[in-house]
Amino acid sequence: MTAAPLLDVRNLKKSYSIGRSGLFSKRSLKVLHDVSFSVAPGEVLGLVGESGSGKSTIGRAILRLIESQSDVMRFDGQDLNSISPVRMRSLRKQMQIIFQDPYASLDPRKTIRAVLSEALDAHGLHKGAARVPRLIELVTLVGLDPSFLDRRPHEFSGGQRQRIGIARALAVEPSFIVCDEAVSALDVSIQAQVLNLLADLRAKTGVSLMFISHDLSVVRYISDRVMVLYLGRVMEVGPADQVHFSPKHPYTAALVSAEPSLHRENRRIRLTGEIPSPLVLPSGCIFRSRCPYAQPACAETVPPLQTVGDQHQSACLRTDIL
Amino acid sequence: MMSVRNFPKRMILPSLFLAALIIIPFAAPLITADDPVKIAVRYRLAAPDLEHWLGRDEFGRDRLARVLYGGQVSLTVAFVATTIACIIGTLFGLVGAYFRGPSEFVTSRLSDIVLCFPPILLALLVVTLFGPGSVTLVAVLSVLYFPTFARITFSEALRVTSLDFVEASRALGTPSYRIVLGTVLPNIAGPLSVQYSLTAAAAITIESGLSFLGLGVVPPAPSWGQMIRGARQFMNQDPLGIMIPCAALVLTIYAINFFCDRLRDTLDPKGTSGSSMDEVSKPKSRANAPTIKDPDVVAVINNLRLETAHFGTPAVIEDVSLTLRANQCTALVGESGSGKSLSSLALMGLLPGAIRQVGGTLQLRRKSDEVVDLGFLDARRLEDIRGNDIAMIFQEPMTSLNPIHKISDQMIEAITAHRPMSKSDARAHAIALLKRVGMNDAERRIDSYPDQMSGGMRQRVMIGMALSCEPRLLIADEPTTALDVTIQAEIIELLQTLRQDQGNGLSLLFISHNLGVVADIADRVAVMYSGLIVEEGPAAQILRDPHHPYTRALIESMPSSHEELNSARGDRLPAISGTPPLPSARPSGCTFRDRCPIALPACAHIRPALYPSADGERAVRCLRAPEAPAGVMNHQTEAA
Ligand SMILES: Nc1ncnc2c1ncn2[C@@H]1O[C@H](COP(=O)(O)OP(=O)(O)OP(=O)(O)O)[C@@H](O)[C@H]1O
Ligand code: SF4
Ligand code: SF4
Ligand SMILES: [Mg+2]
Repeated sequence: MTAAPLLDVRNLKKSYSIGRSGLFSKRSLKVLHDVSFSVAPGEVLGLVGESGSGKSTIGRAILRLIESQSDVMRFDGQDLNSISPVRMRSLRKQMQIIFQDPYASLDPRKTIRAVLSEALDAHGLHKGAARVPRLIELVTLVGLDPSFLDRRPHEFSGGQRQRIGIARALAVEPSFIVCDEAVSALDVSIQAQVLNLLADLRAKTGVSLMFISHDLSVVRYISDRVMVLYLGRVMEVGPADQVHFSPKHPYTAALVSAEPSLHRENRRIRLTGEIPSPLVLPSGCIFRSRCPYAQPACAETVPPLQTVGDQHQSACLRTDIL
Repeated sequence: MMSVRNFPKRMILPSLFLAALIIIPFAAPLITADDPVKIAVRYRLAAPDLEHWLGRDEFGRDRLARVLYGGQVSLTVAFVATTIACIIGTLFGLVGAYFRGPSEFVTSRLSDIVLCFPPILLALLVVTLFGPGSVTLVAVLSVLYFPTFARITFSEALRVTSLDFVEASRALGTPSYRIVLGTVLPNIAGPLSVQYSLTAAAAITIESGLSFLGLGVVPPAPSWGQMIRGARQFMNQDPLGIMIPCAALVLTIYAINFFCDRLRDTLDPKGTSGSSMDEVSKPKSRANAPTIKDPDVVAVINNLRLETAHFGTPAVIEDVSLTLRANQCTALVGESGSGKSLSSLALMGLLPGAIRQVGGTLQLRRKSDEVVDLGFLDARRLEDIRGNDIAMIFQEPMTSLNPIHKISDQMIEAITAHRPMSKSDARAHAIALLKRVGMNDAERRIDSYPDQMSGGMRQRVMIGMALSCEPRLLIADEPTTALDVTIQAEIIELLQTLRQDQGNGLSLLFISHNLGVVADIADRVAVMYSGLIVEEGPAAQILRDPHHPYTRALIESMPSSHEELNSARGDRLPAISGTPPLPSARPSGCTFRDRCPIALPACAHIRPALYPSADGERAVRCLRAPEAPAGVMNHQTEAA
């Protein structure tokens, strides 16, 4: 990646305050610990991790849909930490999001025409006579029939709704889209169609994606690079195929091995115990309470991300195991 | 808004009714020439006659005129007050919910304070201070009712703002006022309109109440409360006097409620009327002697056919046959809407009310070795079977566990419902069950609440509860779909071991859309497509060498089947086009033909049967499968 990154994030932190424990102190729940990454123009960065690992939080923090703290957050040369609300609103034209739940992400009262028009109106795009051709172009792009424009969401299947959600994100011609579990709710045959649609889009428009999913094979297929999260920390990041087929972090290895597969013999790496509560995190390596390779030293230091290959980094103290 | 042409039918009657009740009082001068305040003591309490249809009151005033002009006052006060309360309250609620922070505080505190006072007391207080009169009344009623609107708007708007589509609007950069008015407000219009009706009705009642007490509309101006007040003294001599204003009140309130009920249903974009959705459909008895010969077989579904209750609609399940054996896991796979869950609900006798079994048999071998046909048992016997012989676990355990009760209480209740035992024995049994499903420290954790557990632990609890009656058949409907891969692997492993060490051999019906999971757990697989089983047989054979093009497509379209492909290199997945057809739009001939990559012209004419293989181990519903009889394409006897 020689080009300047489209998105650059350093030490992203997020915590929620959850009521009071004592009289004066608010307890806070840290859900992201110093997450750093960048996305190049046209690149797809995959985010994997178990529930609660902070995948969605990262996506929403970048789009400024929730508050967060970071040392650097730059998008297309602009500093998102100091940007004015007015500038941010016009920047939204460039950053979009596709949601997981195709049922909750469309207003049941709006026709597809209204849904897509809202996107165009927000940025004053394709007004007047140019509107209808653009709407038709959008629905056709995601493989739907223009006659669908005047229908409401409840008349569509989950896969069709997801396409409408994609069309809404594409309407403003963004250069970056967060796909939060965008294909998880779809049946496999429809999922493949939507994945192909995304693959075509990146080829055609050069859009960058942040692709969040708990399905490792889907992420591997769609992404250039994959970032593995555990309890709000980055465990491993690297080229998709490398992370998937030769993981360097014990957590990634366990995830990959737990994935049910038609084709591989099951050689599952067992993880002991449950995911710890974010309120009482283990000292040192955050994964230590479930790691089959943990050693006393793992309780002492927080393992830093170390380079383990070309563009490939892993946060594990033991480089001897994988 | 709505043009006359697409005015919904169900709104016509209530609209006419309500409009009539509102227009008639205001059309008073056209109906009667009498003056409502003109006194004619000579005719006091005169009975109805041709000129004065409703007779005269205690001052000899015409009652028809009074009830009509009184209606003007009562309705105006009530509707003006309710409308003001609704507008102010909604604004408060919307601002509080969308912008949160200080405005949220103001909204909720202010509402709390006003809601502390009983309405009639507050009204009395204000009227006593400012003196009676219509304007005071409107002001009092508005203040009284706006917090209720603020409250409802606030909580409803909070719910709607947290939905993805509002977040999507924010992500699009739509200005806040447009989101609030264009997206949030229409989505809370239903509950608001209901509240409007309740409030308008209540306002009419309070107005009448206050006027009755002499604190509302000032005499001699007519109002319904005034009329009741006047007629009360002569109730015994002249009951008609009190019945007229009361009837006017009742009719008006009824008309408003009727209108708002229908309005709420109409505003619901799905247009569901919500009636009889949950009623369980009653099985029809059939004279079909059940027979399961093989002692290994726990349940047999034979040519099951399910239809919706509407006359003439196509079958939602066209033809499903399955044999479930002890010690075996049968997986039912297929896309959403293919009929997996309905087939299993039929086995539980839990079909939704709108669905009817119109063909086939559902036989079950009970623990007592008695064979029954589930299709014609009454509700009580089905219930007995559900607790004892068949158990079921679902995708999201949180929805099947009650969040306000401890796990221990829920398990003890489930255990003692079917087996008489003491509470302490049941508790010990529950702890043993939890240990069996792999919960460490079960003695302590049995006393936690469902939301204190992780999804994986909750699913273990559900499995433990399902096993409490030692069923012969366990139906698991997508039990791991909501779980993380590492936890999913553990639950699959647990189900495997349970199946092996359950005493008399548990039969597991495993419903899933994930073929990887199915490969891990199933002995046999049945693939469903649009209400039909299209391929069935031993799991290893079918997944390694699928014969039906649909099964093949399912396996091919999974990214995990293509470890060499990556979108970065411009690769596409081998996906089939289209979506599964709705039951009402199934193509003729083979139901898969419009998506099938190898369809032939003959596939449009012949509906394939489930052709068995030579060894009888597997079966495929495809004309081009190796199992299809030679020459099936040539004779068209089965033409649709
Ligand atoms: N509004 C909130 N208040 C308190 N905690 C929150 C809130 N939203 C999220 N969290 C917590 O933040 C953590 C990360 O959540 P996030 O939704 O980002 O996870 P995720 O990786 O997307 O998980 P999933 O796969 O389940 O979607 C979790 O521990 C979650 O409970
Ligand atoms: S640092 Fe230690 S505990 Fe953490 S992943 Fe590596 S070996 Fe496991
Ligand atoms: S019968 Fe014809 S259309 Fe149907 S699956 Fe076989 S080849 Fe395809
Ligand atoms: Mg998420």
